[in-house]
Amino acid sequence: MTSTLPAATAAQVPAQSTPVPTPADGRTPAPQRLRSSRPDLLLCGLLLVAILVVQGWNIADYPTLSDDEGTYLAQAWAVQQGKGLAHYTYWYDHPPLGWIQLALLTWIPSALDPGSLTVGSMRAVMLLVSAVSAVLVYVLARRLSLPRWAAGLAMALFGLSPLSVVLQREIFLDNLAVMWTLLAFALAASPSRHLWHHFGAGLAAATAVLTKETMLVVLPALFLTMWRHSHRDTRKFALTGAITACALIGFSYPLFALLKGELLPGGGHVSLWDGIRYQMTRPGSGFILDAGSGSYGVLHSWLYYDRVLPLGGLAGALLLLLTWRWSVTARALAGPALAVAILAALALRPNGYLPAMYVIQALPFLALVLAGGTASVAHAVLRRWRSEAERRSVAVGRYALAAVLALAAGAYVVPRWYDGDHTALTADANAPYRAASSWLSTEVAHPEDTRVLVDDALWLDLVHAGYRPGLGVIWFYKADLDPAVTKTMPHGWRDLDYVVASPTVRRDARDLPGVRAAMEHSTPVAVFGTGEDRIEIRRIQPATAGGAR
Amino acid sequence: MLTSVFISAVSLALFWMAAFTLWWQMHAWRTPEVLASTRFSRPDGDEHVSFSLLLPARHEQAVLDHTIQRLLESTHTDFEIIVIVGHDDPETTAVAERAAARDPRVRVVVDTHEKKNKPKAMNTALPHCRGDVVGVFDAEDQVHPELLAHVDHAFRTTGADVVQGGVQLINFHSSWYSLRNCLEYFFWFRSRLHLHAQKGFIPLGGNTVFVRTDVLREAGGWDSECLAEDCDLGVRLSSVGKKVVVAYDPRMVTREETPGSLMSLLKQRTRWNQGFLQVYRKKDWKQLPGFGQRLLARYTLMTPFLQAFSGVIIPLNVAIALFLDVPVGIAFVTFLPAVTALVTFVFEVVGLHDFGKQYGLRVRLVHYLKLVVGGPFYQVLLAGAAVRAVWREQRGRNDWELTTHVGAHLATADGIREDVPA
Repeated sequence: MTSTLPAATAAQVPAQSTPVPTPADGRTPAPQRLRSSRPDLLLCGLLLVAILVVQGWNIADYPTLSDDEGTYLAQAWAVQQGKGLAHYTYWYDHPPLGWIQLALLTWIPSALDPGSLTVGSMRAVMLLVSAVSAVLVYVLARRLSLPRWAAGLAMALFGLSPLSVVLQREIFLDNLAVMWTLLAFALAASPSRHLWHHFGAGLAAATAVLTKETMLVVLPALFLTMWRHSHRDTRKFALTGAITACALIGFSYPLFALLKGELLPGGGHVSLWDGIRYQMTRPGSGFILDAGSGSYGVLHSWLYYDRVLPLGGLAGALLLLLTWRWSVTARALAGPALAVAILAALALRPNGYLPAMYVIQALPFLALVLAGGTASVAHAVLRRWRSEAERRSVAVGRYALAAVLALAAGAYVVPRWYDGDHTALTADANAPYRAASSWLSTEVAHPEDTRVLVDDALWLDLVHAGYRPGLGVIWFYKADLDPAVTKTMPHGWRDLDYVVASPTVRRDARDLPGVRAAMEHSTPVAVFGTGEDRIEIRRIQPATAGGAR
Repeated sequence: MLTSVFISAVSLALFWMAAFTLWWQMHAWRTPEVLASTRFSRPDGDEHVSFSLLLPARHEQAVLDHTIQRLLESTHTDFEIIVIVGHDDPETTAVAERAAARDPRVRVVVDTHEKKNKPKAMNTALPHCRGDVVGVFDAEDQVHPELLAHVDHAFRTTGADVVQGGVQLINFHSSWYSLRNCLEYFFWFRSRLHLHAQKGFIPLGGNTVFVRTDVLREAGGWDSECLAEDCDLGVRLSSVGKKVVVAYDPRMVTREETPGSLMSLLKQRTRWNQGFLQVYRKKDWKQLPGFGQRLLARYTLMTPFLQAFSGVIIPLNVAIALFLDVPVGIAFVTFLPAVTALVTFVFEVVGLHDFGKQYGLRVRLVHYLKLVVGGPFYQVLLAGAAVRAVWREQRGRNDWELTTHVGAHLATADGIREDVPA
């Protein structure tokens, strides 16, 4: 039987549409479509330009190239070259997703000019990451119901604090992880409360964790944000969906190890288990408030660049937690405040390991809670207990007080930030590195037959100069720690030609007998820079036992 | 190399299939707004639509009277019940005649077709319908007294040609497969059908479906040769742009029972699958105006077979990934379908929890375990039914294998208890 009905255009029929009652929460409801709000676009766009200029200008020369940057970029290079996850044995030190992303980000520039894949020049790709993160901070702030000016403040704090400028310029996995975490938060706070947005938040969170495993500790704050932003009727689906997504992607890492037969320790191979155990048992760096401990030094290296964001952020988090009962802003920012609280608590462990990058993952949350705290104070000054019949003088008083507070804050912050950012825009911290790189590229006759110990930051430069990657130009600590490398050096330091003694090498040589011996049996042939930061190129002296040191 | 390409292609295809199915299955819970829109809106007390409720009954003397009694308790004031019985079924006829004698709103129509099936029975009754709207129920259905008032309101406020109410299997505690069967209904009527209504392509359910009498007559009633006449009617009506509204309210659903044995479930599923295949081949869905709609139609009508296919392939794929020597990247790809299957599992567990909440049923840990453990076996059952359907259709066997009802859900008529151990 066929139909005899006249064909009509099918009406798209939504069933009876019933609006859902939304809980009144937050005094400045974010516009449903942020991307069609002109003032938001304008403010966010202007701030973005400012952040890109400040972070981008002089990015290659300041701050000093870090060993870790070299590590990750070199491993990204290995991925690009199809050498697996690292050019030395990948030993599950970190999940590899971070430098796989770096490999993707640097793919086009390195395809155009292979020689450009060095730490200094590839810092430029971090601008992209910073830009995305900064925009996400703005979006998240708006989605957490902050007023426009406060969202702009959060974005500016996040992108322009001298501490941020220094750290976000560097090729750290943490910066990538922060981007994914912010995406997860923004999706968790999605105004449409869409199931698949929450699912996506789970995926982004897992990506963040697989980029830098320390992001694991922020997940409770993400969960709280999602809980607050989901609707009672659909919450259980949204949250389980997010957790499932996160867990499934997260488990792909052990699955990867399992497929490679490297999940559990065994003879003759690395394992995920050993990698995790190494990270969990790293020697502690002391209590953060104990002057003289390593952690204390790290804390002060942060505060050296900026006190406003870390300390102000902590104060903001404290304020929001204390005013939880009364302030809608405090409740709206519960997620970021919890993230700050967790990260602060972990930093206060009596003898935890506190790396310098630790603060990177806290930066966006510090910025958000500081902006939120400011919004809370502004609200208290301008609006609280205001009645229709308020006298004009009181109203003027409120605005005067607000203006005084704003001016005072500006007077405190602007000069300090100006100094910090001015340094970042003008200082040249990497001249010794560039000079060392150029010396080794031009003064050594047969790089392909030369074996040299360098720190990771210089490694790619020398690869491009023609040294053999891995066993010709050697990450200095591999000479002691990687059996695959030591095997090729039966005579220890005598099998080497040069050691490039950068500050990192000099520092770590204390614990690496092979490197120490190479240092002792070598003499500087070229020195760049002065004092602690100098870089010495030392030639091994096979004849002179004892060395010239 | 060839193995790698082959299993990657299969895995990716399966992944997208499962992902789309999952996406649609979760339609109702996408946003709180969507969920709110799937409910009946509250009736305003006005009544303008008159109903003719068709109740085909065949060898169902055990449950028929109860069903009629319950229908008569409806709060709506303008409806008739037309019980359709076979001329060769005196027991059921006697029950129907007794009910008709008791209440003038009940009438009996006798179907004299030599070979009987549900669409023929309903077509027999169609000329006798006096109401504005024809509603269809099964002989074992428990219908909520306020349902007709809600449907009346839905017809008036939405201008719909068809209103599909919810149908829900309730006896999830009876056995491991009834648990899964109940959940299938839950996801279908609670969620997926609403998506179909929104997209303008909908395979209707077999009962609690209401069609304007003139629209139904114009369409020529049900297709008496089709094994899934309900699905077919929905496809024909929606393909020519008739407006279908789906509304689901846990209080208002028609409660049914799962088939009493695995075999009867297999037979029922075979019949549906065969019906879907027939509807697919009738090509009415090709009149749909949108490309996306046609794709949805094609996919939906073929689902049983894709389901069968994936049920077999997923374990095979995982085995290949674990035991054959394929590159790590390829092995990862083979896990993709398993990943979606896992996500589906998790949502099913949450769905079971929600089901328990919505119906005030206590779902115990053992039920969740059964749900998860039974999953693969149910998949095998579905695959078996799909294969069987293709086989029967190929051999030209399209007679009805009717499901018998034992009335398991009636034991729980007053307030749901779940004291029947599985």
